[in-house]
Amino acid sequence: MLDAALNALAGFANPATLMMLAIGVAAGLAMGVLPGLGGTAAVGILLPFVITLDPSQSLPILIGAVAVVHHSDVITAILLRVPGSASAAVIMPDGNAMARRGQAARALSLCFVASMIGGALGAVGLTFSIPIAEPLVLAFGSPELFMLTILGISLAALLSKGNMLKGLVSAGLGLLIGMIGAAPAAAVYRFSFGADSLLDGVGLIPLALGLFGLAEIAHMVARKTAIAEKIDIGGGWLQGAREALREWKMMLRGVLVGMWAGVLPGLGATAGTYMAYGQAAATAKGKDRKAFGKGSPKGLVAAESAANSVEAGDLIPTLLFGIPGGAPAALLLGALLAYGIQPGPQMLTNHLDVMYTVVWSFAIASVVGSVVCFFLAKPLARLSFVPFQYLAPGLLLIMLVAAYAESGQFGAIVAMLVLGVMGYVMKEADFPRAPLLIGFILSVPMERYYFLTDSLYTTGEWIHRPFVIVMALILLAPLALKLFNAMRRRRSVDDAGSSVTDEREQVQESPQHVLVGASGGSSQRATGDVGGGVGAGWHATPTGGGSGDAELPDDAEEGGLAGSRWPLVFGVLVLGTFVVAFVLAQGYASRARLMPVFVTVLGIALTGLFVAREGRAVVKGDRRVLSWNLRVAQTGLAFGWLLLFVVLVFLLGFSVATLIYVPLFLIRVSRLSPLRTVAYTMVAVAVLAVAYLYGNIDLPGGILLPALPVLYG
Amino acid sequence: MMIIGRRKALPVAIGLAVAGSLTLTACKGTRSDAVGEVPGSVQLIVPFAAGGGTDTFARVLAPPLGKALDGSPSIQVVNREGGESITGTNQFVKQNPNDGSQFLVASATTTYQWLLDIPQVKYDFNTLKPLIVAGTGGVIYASKDSGINSVQDLKSPPKPLSYGGISATGLDLSTLLAFNLLKLHPKVTFGFEGRGPARLAMQRGETNIDYQTTSAYLTQVKPMVDKGQAVPLMSFGVLDDNGNVVRDPNFKDLPTVPEVYQMLYGKKPSGAAHDAYVAFLAAGFSFEKSVWATPETPEGVRQAVIGAVPTLKDDKKFEQQRKDSLGDYPLHSGPEVSKALKKALTVPDSVKKYVFDMLKNEYHTSVQ
Repeated sequence: MLDAALNALAGFANPATLMMLAIGVAAGLAMGVLPGLGGTAAVGILLPFVITLDPSQSLPILIGAVAVVHHSDVITAILLRVPGSASAAVIMPDGNAMARRGQAARALSLCFVASMIGGALGAVGLTFSIPIAEPLVLAFGSPELFMLTILGISLAALLSKGNMLKGLVSAGLGLLIGMIGAAPAAAVYRFSFGADSLLDGVGLIPLALGLFGLAEIAHMVARKTAIAEKIDIGGGWLQGAREALREWKMMLRGVLVGMWAGVLPGLGATAGTYMAYGQAAATAKGKDRKAFGKGSPKGLVAAESAANSVEAGDLIPTLLFGIPGGAPAALLLGALLAYGIQPGPQMLTNHLDVMYTVVWSFAIASVVGSVVCFFLAKPLARLSFVPFQYLAPGLLLIMLVAAYAESGQFGAIVAMLVLGVMGYVMKEADFPRAPLLIGFILSVPMERYYFLTDSLYTTGEWIHRPFVIVMALILLAPLALKLFNAMRRRRSVDDAGSSVTDEREQVQESPQHVLVGASGGSSQRATGDVGGGVGAGWHATPTGGGSGDAELPDDAEEGGLAGSRWPLVFGVLVLGTFVVAFVLAQGYASRARLMPVFVTVLGIALTGLFVAREGRAVVKGDRRVLSWNLRVAQTGLAFGWLLLFVVLVFLLGFSVATLIYVPLFLIRVSRLSPLRTVAYTMVAVAVLAVAYLYGNIDLPGGILLPALPVLYG
Repeated sequence: MMIIGRRKALPVAIGLAVAGSLTLTACKGTRSDAVGEVPGSVQLIVPFAAGGGTDTFARVLAPPLGKALDGSPSIQVVNREGGESITGTNQFVKQNPNDGSQFLVASATTTYQWLLDIPQVKYDFNTLKPLIVAGTGGVIYASKDSGINSVQDLKSPPKPLSYGGISATGLDLSTLLAFNLLKLHPKVTFGFEGRGPARLAMQRGETNIDYQTTSAYLTQVKPMVDKGQAVPLMSFGVLDDNGNVVRDPNFKDLPTVPEVYQMLYGKKPSGAAHDAYVAFLAAGFSFEKSVWATPETPEGVRQAVIGAVPTLKDDKKFEQQRKDSLGDYPLHSGPEVSKALKKALTVPDSVKKYVFDMLKNEYHTSVQ
């Protein structure tokens, strides 16, 4: 085995092989930086070119690209608050909080070092776990996977610190959105309203980009400000790297969680990254714990090392069982098949050289990718000095292409726009969006593994499986601790009684979620806020049109409307959505009905509670009247601009729409000079044309014109 | 710093944009599709996710097909996955590319949705034109835990049989019809993500009978058979020119499903259960992967693609790659396959009704 490993390493002494690796790394980093485009796009672009090469040349290209997309996807997340990929949304709150404190360099450095080590350790883990992967994967059956999804969803509570009820509503909404499309356990399409583009549900890319990215663009366009006002990148490169190394234990934990999430089928990179972040947050103590969500180095390191080792973990089922864990791995599998290399247990005997080429490519690419990122980050960091309205059209183009690329459905673009509006409202109304994303990604796996477990095992059988018990304990332990603390406090402090009553009330509403909520160890403060939110009015202080900045320095942009009546309006809309979904679900076959009914009933209860509390606050006069003020109007206008582009694309196809929209936007909104406008537009159209013609990137055509009419000249 | 000069710039830019788009529009009108030449850029629309069997087939096909066609057009694979391939296929017929700039690469899943009259389906394989068709096969096998050592044990299995499927209306249907023909009544659990996870479930002991297509069987199951962990039972078989089920050339030693019927019950299978099995075997395996054009696509374009097939068959690398990913089954094209395919896709209403009833009664799945 060692021989094969060294032989494969010797292959990298060949400059041609290193060149191939470099091409892969470059493509992976570039796709990683672009919001929404990632490993799938990188491999997709490279595949037609590499399929003609020899495997020893093409594998370094493909693996190089897959290994580094999660290195560079943090850059836009930290600097622009637009996630480079869905899993970069995990580090966004912490990374961006640091950036706004003038520590962007520190945040980037932390992430890059964690990526480097996460990736390299992932490759090492890949080597050592090959012999033990099979028994481990076989030990993890449907019941274990079901428990794992529940554990994952419980993160929703953890990620909604201090905002428990809103977080749970958000998670419920995510679970419901995740149920759109084909039901996993019955041949039924749910909530698709006859739209073809909804048969397979909402895509992860449109969801993550809409919820976080588009909401941010609209917000920024409305405010017409530079992204990081009065902020500089800072010089914390070294500091960040040192801090990352100091957190080596956290990094190791991240790697383990990430690898595991990669090895198991059906969880994916985003869930793995959230779980790594979640375990870091759940086990943090004291001051460290408070830092989560506000610039925690531990959180960044755990999430980033996991995001990169997920890709390594993904390769294990791909190579050993022919079961790809994620989309880029699926493409890789296709490439291997095209070479006549059949993944399977015989990889270890027949193609050990291929295995080690993969391992070394991954490790080398991870290190090289991080180094390149350090060089790349400085020039890219200047992006945050460019007024946002200059960046907006370019970002918008990329995001639309990315949303469309995932499914090739125009409906994905519409979904992204709708989710953008929702993301904006949630952000302003101080609803945490991470729980929605978590609920969304785990919705179908939870349902799938529930039905598989239920059908393949009796309850007595599965509930006694050792891993199930372990995970149940992980879920219950914090609750027990909490109860213990509460009882102790009740003895010592009389006042604590009210808070405990509040908890009981919640337990009745939704036992599952409170268990889950407590598991996050989301401290007394969380429940306190929910319980006391009405009277306490932590956001209720009337502050003039959206300048809550002084009040909340760490969270300057969030929750501008939290103290107004808008959350009530949103709550009523969400409540309505749950009720409609509940009614619609009654028409589905029983195996497609159970989960939607469960989620909507829970959603109705939680949202009802929220609406009641907000309503009571409004009646009591604790919510300021913030009707059609300037800010709301401006945001409406910003979304109007986004809508205009979508309409143009729908009618005229992507390239012609770009040709009209970009100059219009640059001149009307950005007020760019004519010369620069022309240059900007030309570059944008040229890049799109090249990507379409040579990059295997599909662009939407319109009903009047194809995607790139000149093609037919 | 950026310069502000808004008032003058607006008309200029709009003028530019309009001029630009008009030029582009004008170009559109000049394209020459009447002649029937394959355009310089062709997309293979794959209504499945990247990396799956159909995607691999398309990606293996694309480069040699481009080389074999006149003018060596660049051929790109575009994945439009979702909804059991209904979404992407609907979109293909809706866009109706009638100049040869797009072809559809369908699989049995796509044809099954149409055969089963799934309400979401808006495409019609009676009007679409087949260009290239490739077949595959599959093997039904049991785990060692099932206690089944030979086909004979199926009649009274030592332990209840348990099968893991994806969805009753997908490719599992062929297996369900095989079970139905053989009067086996395994407990069937739907909801697996794919054949791979279903196979892992069998390895875990969660299920005990499974099927895999030829390539997956050879790479993933064969090693288990060699180690004594799995017992091969039967192949689905392939159809000969007369529409009879004969032994799969890849598995000459394995009996076919109808042969197993004869071994168990002492007579040749016949009747609705047999007709249904054969009908869906043709659509599901014998013509598993197929490349289609819209009916409006010029004859010249279609003939050009069909004409490229002999060149493809001579391409050793392509044939090797294709056989590795699909198994050793012939590649068809031209009028004879068009006729056979048409026959295979013409499933009598009585057979359809039989299948609907079976799905409803045994699997509580109603299609409409």
